[in-house]
This record gives sequence, structure tokens and C-alpha cells, in this order.
Amino acid sequence: MRHFFGLAAVLLLAPFSVQAAEGERITVTGEIIDTWCYYSGVMGGPDSVVGSAHHTCALWCSASGIPIGLLAEDGTVYTVLKLGAQDNATGGDTALRLASHTVTADGMAYTRDGINYIVVEKVVEDLGIVNLTHEDYDVIPSFAIPKPKK
Amino acid sequence: MMRAFLIAALALVAAPLAAQDFSENSKAKSWNLYAEVPALFDAKVVDAMCEITGDCPANCGDGDRQLALLRGADNVMVMALKNNQPAFTGAVVDLLPFCGQDVTVDGLMIEDADFPVRNVYLVQRIKSGDADWAKASKFTRDWAAKNPEAKGKGPWFRRDPRIKERIEAEGYLGLGLEVDAEFIEYLFE
Repeated sequence: MRHFFGLAAVLLLAPFSVQAAEGERITVTGEIIDTWCYYSGVMGGPDSVVGSAHHTCALWCSASGIPIGLLAEDGTVYTVLKLGAQDNATGGDTALRLASHTVTADGMAYTRDGINYIVVEKVVEDLGIVNLTHEDYDVIPSFAIPKPKK
Repeated sequence: MMRAFLIAALALVAAPLAAQDFSENSKAKSWNLYAEVPALFDAKVVDAMCEITGDCPANCGDGDRQLALLRGADNVMVMALKNNQPAFTGAVVDLLPFCGQDVTVDGLMIEDADFPVRNVYLVQRIKSGDADWAKASKFTRDWAAKNPEAKGKGPWFRRDPRIKERIEAEGYLGLGLEVDAEFIEYLFE
């Protein structure tokens, strides 16, 4: 009987305990991306909305406060809640400067409700833009670069 | 009695875990996104970092923090990535006035178990208490008020001083002006 109530108590608490966000210190290398275009597919497939092809659009989205993400080498996307010394990641100067860059970041990682998050304490290394997607996709969206005036 | 208790316990456990349908009564307009699902729900507007880490500045960070929607039905934290404007615009400006408040939101959830992605959201309209629905379309007006020197023709993202500064320094591809010049010549040849 005692075991039964113990089991029941565990079951009752389970939904609440899985939502507790417990952090883990990680160092991760990946590209700073625009989460909306990546997740929504509004501009095309995920391979086309990263790197140099999508750099200008990434600037637009970052400047407007759309959350940036860190796309790790294993494909995991971390939504960035803080980016180094910059307290916020909503259109801040650091986020703009690092748009489309591949960086190594040190920080605390969390998971909640199917979304991964990272609070970056320090950008350990900035490799710049190394994902040269314009070679395959030109620019995404196609109007990102205005036609030069003659 | 034991069986009844167990059934009740399992029902309580299963309820929040079961996939819920929030599309009923939604009037969200399609953006023709491959994984969009209309979703209308009650939620509390929260500072995402505060919810996760316990670091909670006043007024959800006054616009410096990403905002999320803590859904009343199941306590799921939905990230508000996008507002209703087709102009590369986030949702913080629209949600910040409701920091800490209970609201009803209508919009598009992006759900794809295979990608995988879930619980990210495009907010189309917001309703607080007895007030009328408000369109989540404030970003550009707010931007114009904050950037009077950038007044002119064309969309905000062509005129934004910080974006222009980055492009003037590193080009549209971000690879430097020399690479940019060669690429632009190829692109428009």
C-alpha cells in the first residue's frame, strides 16, 4: 500500500518536475542564426537560411528583436537568451556583429518544453562567417541585395 | 478505492502531456508556412530568461529580454518569435506592454515533430481583459519613433542605421566589400 501511494505521488509530481529548467554548463561551437526563418521555413529550407546567403536577412531579423539561435555542429539549436557581456539578445549590437558567424560559446544550457536555450557567458572564439551558402543559394531572400543603380 | 485513486492519478498525469488542440476559435491568417498551426490560447506574458534562470529584472527587462507566453492550459512556455508584420519584425514591442499580465493571443504555432520544432509562435493579435483585440503590428511604428533621423522611403530594414553600418563595413554577404563587389557583379550580370 505504501508503495502504491509512493508511486501515485511520483506520478502526480512528474508533469511539474519535467518542466523545471535545470542548467548545464557547456562549451559549444556553432553558427549564430535567425530562429524565425530557420524554424518557419518562410524563406526556404534550413540549409538556405544560414550562412552568407542569409546574412543580410539575419541582420534584419536580429535588429528587430527576433530571437537569435546558436546552431551547433550536431544540429541542435539553442535559443540565445543572453550573449556575453550584452545582457540581452534582442537586437543588441553584439548579436548584430555576430550574425551568421560561427562562434564557440561558453554558457549555461537549459531545455524547456522542447526548446533548447543558452545563456552565453562568454564568446570564447569568433571564427567569422565560414558557412559560404551564397555559393549554392545566391541570396535569401532574393531581394536582400538591391539592384545597383546605374 | 485503490483502483479509482490510480485512475485519477494517471488522468492527472496524462492531461498536461496529451497534445492539445488550440486551433478552436482561432482566426489566425495563414502565412502558408509548411508547419503552421492556428493557435488561440490564454497565457501570461513572461521574460523567458527570468522563467528559466530566475534572473528577473523589472518589467521583463524593458525590451532587452526575449518574451514568451506561459500558456494557462498546460504551463508550457511558448516562445514568441515573430509579430504579425511581414517585415522581418519580432514580437517584443507588441508583448512588452503586457509583461506579467494574463492575455489571450491568436496566431500561428510552428509544429513539426520531425524537424523538430514546437512551441514557437507568430503572434497576430492580443487581447487583455475586456479590451478589444489589438493587432501585433507595432514594431515599425515604434522603430520610426526611435529612429527619426532614418525617415525616408522604403522599408525600415533598408533605412536602419545599425544595419546599414554593418552592410557598409562588411557587405551584404558579411564577407567583406571585395567579395561583395564580385558577387553583386555576378548576381546582376
